Amino acid sequence: MSKIPRNFKLLEELEKGEKGLGPDSCSYGLSNPDDITMSNWNATILGPPNSNHENRIYSLKIHIGNNYPLEPPTIKFISKINLPCVDNSNGNIIPSKFKTLQNWNYNYSIEILLLDLRKLMADPANKKLPQPNENEVYNV
Amino acid sequence: MSSLPKRIIRETERLISDPVPGITATPHEENLRYFDVLLDGPSGSPYENGVFKLELFLPDDYPMAPPMVRFLTKIYHPNIDRLGRICLDVLKNNWSPALQIRTILLSIQALLSSPNPDDPLANEVADEWKNNHDKAIQTAREWTAQYAK
Repeated sequence: MSKIPRNFKLLEELEKGEKGLGPDSCSYGLSNPDDITMSNWNATILGPPNSNHENRIYSLKIHIGNNYPLEPPTIKFISKINLPCVDNSNGNIIPSKFKTLQNWNYNYSIEILLLDLRKLMADPANKKLPQPNENEVYNV
Repeated sequence: MSSLPKRIIRETERLISDPVPGITATPHEENLRYFDVLLDGPSGSPYENGVFKLELFLPDDYPMAPPMVRFLTKIYHPNIDRLGRICLDVLKNNWSPALQIRTILLSIQALLSSPNPDDPLANEVADEWKNNHDKAIQTAREWTAQYAK
């Protein structure tokens, strides 16, 4: 298999996000629709049912470096959340505590990152963790 | 890296030995399916004297599937959007394996000479193109002078 270059992979991901072809439980798109480098993305995750996240919508920011998809994006929560892989001072996701980032694979995508975060939110170990008030955001 | 199909090797050799006037396509050393493209704006168009940078990738199923192409240079054109994506039939439904990298790049150059505002990708640009044609042409010239050097 030949490897699809960063920009064309991102265009495919963007098209899926723009057309709403992905799952209903998350969304993603460019922060600035004129950004020809496609480096900064906004995303949301709909809190999983039967958890303390139910009916909440979490906002995130994603930065895609030049070596994507060889290297994973950096990703952070804007909405406050209590989750072991999230640095609760600034919302950054700590790669060593999030398997999908730690074991990053060339074929992963922004969507896989978001869906795996949502799975962690629904995980029995995390789903009843006390959560900050809704609509609170990190001040960074 | 998997070995490159003969067809791609032949096309690449010919692009270099017998280049199309006004178009250069250079493969990346680490990925021979990925090309940097420079395309001269056609004379008589508002893109004249501009040099536009594009990127082109030949997916695994090329030539059964078309190349992926986009502009990296900002361009004001009704069939090219803000991210450089191109609306062109031969890149989508009308692709045929008989077409090649060079014919695709010539088609893109022809699209610069003859925009098609009735099948737009950039709606605001297409509206301007139809309703305020002189101003649209002037904007296309200004963007060419500003970005396509």
